Amino acid sequence: MLKTKKSFLDVELPKSDPRVKLIAAKIKKENYRQDALIEILHTAQNAYGYLPMNVLAFITRELKVPPSRVYSTVTFYHFFSLKSKGDHTCLVCTGTACYVKGAQALLDEIENKFHIKPGQVTPDNQLGVQTARCIGACGLAPAVVVDDEVKAKVTAAQINNIITTKTGVGA
Amino acid sequence: MPKISVKIDDKDLEVEVGTTVLDVCRANDIDIPTMCHLKGLVDVGACRLCLVEVEGTSKLLPSCTTKVQANQVIHTQTDKLKKYRRMITELFFAERNHVCSVCIANGNCELQDLGYKVGMENVRFPYLFQNCEVDSSHSKFVMDHNRCIMCTRCVRVCSDVEGAHNWGIMNRGYQVRIIADFNVPWGDSTTCTYCGKCVDVCPTGALWNKDATQGSMQKYPQAVSDLVEKREMKS
Repeated sequence: MLKTKKSFLDVELPKSDPRVKLIAAKIKKENYRQDALIEILHTAQNAYGYLPMNVLAFITRELKVPPSRVYSTVTFYHFFSLKSKGDHTCLVCTGTACYVKGAQALLDEIENKFHIKPGQVTPDNQLGVQTARCIGACGLAPAVVVDDEVKAKVTAAQINNIITTKTGVGA
Repeated sequence: MPKISVKIDDKDLEVEVGTTVLDVCRANDIDIPTMCHLKGLVDVGACRLCLVEVEGTSKLLPSCTTKVQANQVIHTQTDKLKKYRRMITELFFAERNHVCSVCIANGNCELQDLGYKVGMENVRFPYLFQNCEVDSSHSKFVMDHNRCIMCTRCVRVCSDVEGAHNWGIMNRGYQVRIIADFNVPWGDSTTCTYCGKCVDVCPTGALWNKDATQGSMQKYPQAVSDLVEKREMKS
């Protein structure tokens, strides 16, 4: 019998998953155009919060683009992520103004309670901590963004309470 | 084709419209070092070695992607350019781990030749000593990322000449790497056709035949240039 190489592209996504439906609809709307790759990746990233490998394989197969081009695009743009950023995110601004006003103390406090450093996610995937170099809100320093909501002039004593109240993590 | 006149290094030349500065220089025995350029492949201006000075422009322009314009005055061998070419060469060596004495391409290496050509005696920049992988998962070839200078000739020959699109580029800056498919081991690639064109065009010892030993690897980039030329003649 003829043996064929098992391809990493041979993955099936659950068709009933609304996120898969969303991506499939987007691909159809873009008329399977290869140059719509970035728009389709945006849709996938918004649906999943990150880009799982099986989703990339699905997009590659549907658009018939070379896998290396998809991977190149995803790793080139900072917006795309191959790793889960967590169900809830806490972004601490470490720009100059926020740093001077004590952003590091906030990160230390988060690490004390949740045992995660910037770029890491808790083992249960509930919370991820990120840093950014200036979110453009220096007047609010130190600024923290918890699940897309900006919190101003946060102190080390408040930070964990803010996270728990907003996300329910660590209650 | 209409002709225009340009002046390169005090030589008055008549050239066809649409020719690149590099092609004009090569045709007139003006030596410009290059790494990423290969006849037959699309030029990308990645290595910056072919920079030239054009009078009236404060920027240095890559000659491989710059087309000559009428009455331009171009300098290719100024002290400034020589200084930069040597600096670029040193940065190639400092970025990854180029150890000629144990390299498969020792004596048959375009990077080594370049070092001699620009008169590089030592590297004035601290080495990064990056921890790069050697991918020997392929049955015929090996990819040694330590020797790669990111000229992307392999990427271009694979997509434009062979049409297989096996190679791609991942990440940015010093973390940039050549990848096969989804950053899988080369041997697991679903797109590689085992043609070996990437190995032939690689200017350094980054891509080599598995049966090669130290200093024995011969490259034939000209084979790809000839292939492209033959295809163009046919069509």
